[in-house]
Amino acid sequence: MAASISGLLKPWIPRVFLVRWSRYNPYYLEPEVRKEVYNRPETELSAEEKEQQELKEMRSIKAATGGITSSVFSDPSISKFTNMMMKHGNKALAREIISVTLETVKRKQVEKYHKAPAGKKDEIECNPYVIFHQALENCKPVVGLISVPKGGRFYQVPVPLSENRRRFLAMKWMITECRDNKHRTTPMHEKLSQELLAAFIKEGNVVKKRNEMHKVAEANRAYAHYRWW
Amino acid sequence: MAASCVRTVGSFIGKCGHCSLGINTITSQVSRQVLNRQICVSSALHGKNIASMGPEKFTAEFIQKQVEEYNIGKRHLANMMGEDPENFTQEDIDRSIAYLFPSSLFVKEARPVMKHPDIIFPKQKAAQWGEDGRPFHFLFYTGKQAYYSLMHDLYGKILKLEKYQDRLKVKGLFSSEGKKASLGLSRWLTKEELEQLLVQPTSQQDYNHFIQLIERLLSMPYSGTEEEFILRYRYQLEAESRKQTVQPLQKDEKGVAFSSAEGRRKTSNSSVILRDCGSGRVTVNGQDYLHYFPFLQHREQLMFPLQFVDMLGRFDLQCTVSGGGPSSQAGALRLAISRALLSFLSEGDMENMRQAGLLTPDPRVRERKKPGQEGARRKFTWKRR
Repeated sequence: MAASISGLLKPWIPRVFLVRWSRYNPYYLEPEVRKEVYNRPETELSAEEKEQQELKEMRSIKAATGGITSSVFSDPSISKFTNMMMKHGNKALAREIISVTLETVKRKQVEKYHKAPAGKKDEIECNPYVIFHQALENCKPVVGLISVPKGGRFYQVPVPLSENRRRFLAMKWMITECRDNKHRTTPMHEKLSQELLAAFIKEGNVVKKRNEMHKVAEANRAYAHYRWW
Repeated sequence: MAASCVRTVGSFIGKCGHCSLGINTITSQVSRQVLNRQICVSSALHGKNIASMGPEKFTAEFIQKQVEEYNIGKRHLANMMGEDPENFTQEDIDRSIAYLFPSSLFVKEARPVMKHPDIIFPKQKAAQWGEDGRPFHFLFYTGKQAYYSLMHDLYGKILKLEKYQDRLKVKGLFSSEGKKASLGLSRWLTKEELEQLLVQPTSQQDYNHFIQLIERLLSMPYSGTEEEFILRYRYQLEAESRKQTVQPLQKDEKGVAFSSAEGRRKTSNSSVILRDCGSGRVTVNGQDYLHYFPFLQHREQLMFPLQFVDMLGRFDLQCTVSGGGPSSQAGALRLAISRALLSFLSEGDMENMRQAGLLTPDPRVRERKKPGQEGARRKFTWKRR
């Protein structure tokens, strides 16, 4: 099969047409864009990592997508968030909103920093990327609820979530919250920055929603054994 | 049928080689008439059910004759085209056939073709039963004789190895590391490759079972004794980076080193000339890249390969791009820049760029709209009645 991937633009048609299929042969690996991974000297790597590197040299790699670069300014979770916020393919608008949001967050924090007394200055975080990541971390649920039919009735069963699902739920809740519960004159970036700062200190509607989900999951603990997977 | 097509083309060329001899043409005419007469007799009169006979079976002598005819025809073709018959490759044959027999048929498989008989006639199993009707192989009635005989051999080898280990333990020479098989950089054969090897369709479950059993053989301490057998079912991998073609580095009149490359993405085509001036100016279709790509993300994509190898301000880019929209043009340019950059880089850098996904052309294109649906995936509104 590897020998026949010589024409890389040849589309890979699966034998059985699945609902979700990609133009890449499943043999292809995801690209690694960060520069620091390639700058590590030979001595730092363990034997396993060397073997992995050697094996990776034999495999084909997918093309890097159009939204990521190796620069310090591109962040994978921020790219994911921008894509989720994008409507009708308007990436320019989504990126504009995110950059203005991060700028607003920075401005607010710097204002707070200058007003704070000398002792409290160290506690105020000014880096908008750190605030974004921490806020998202505070919004991620640990368990989720799944509707399981049993004996004609549907029960809400608590279930562990994968990392991707948790990240997706946190981002989705953040975006829906900012779109729905805002005054019609407040621009999106303003509302987003308020929500991010609130989530950073574990307040705000998104964190409240996550806590409610956890409470319901705790209450339905008895149904946990309805899960068979 | 492609087979008859080849036969006609090959034999036609063979006959053309002797077209100076008049006698041969008469005999060929006569033989053609005889053939015609034979063809006119319908097989219905013989009471044969053609469908139940299965795929056409070719004897070994027939295939051999076809191979000889092919080789002779290849030499005649080379003579006709005025080229060297010794070094006449398959590409030359395809070119010559396309020239001599131009065809505008849309179905490529229906056009005249001249290929080695091994490619045209599918590989088939030899006759599996003798004249008395009794099958040769003891596993014939399983239906998957090649697969089950392979599994049988594999298990036999596992038992043999276990006996060998027991004998060593009795003598006290057993060591848990033992002599393991060294495989080098290789992977197991895929299901398709195994099917080709066995000349027999294999199901996914059978394939998984086979892989399980051969992994078990491999995990035994003294598997080195069966290394040759195991290697038959491994495909040797070679480094992907060796398959990259590096553009040559050229020098223009002022002594500035430059290289050029092309790239494609969706429907955009681009070509880039990378000059080692040290200025860092980028021109796209005659305009400055700030005017051509007002969106920051596209400019970031242009800079991506240069930023990855830390050569941002060193090169002068002169780009031309056409077709597609802004994002696909940016993607095409990125691929062209990465390819042009290869001639200034070492092998290690090239491997890093490949692993970052900069050298793979993006195969994603617009999915077609299907009938009965509104778009590629979106269905019409579902109505209950």
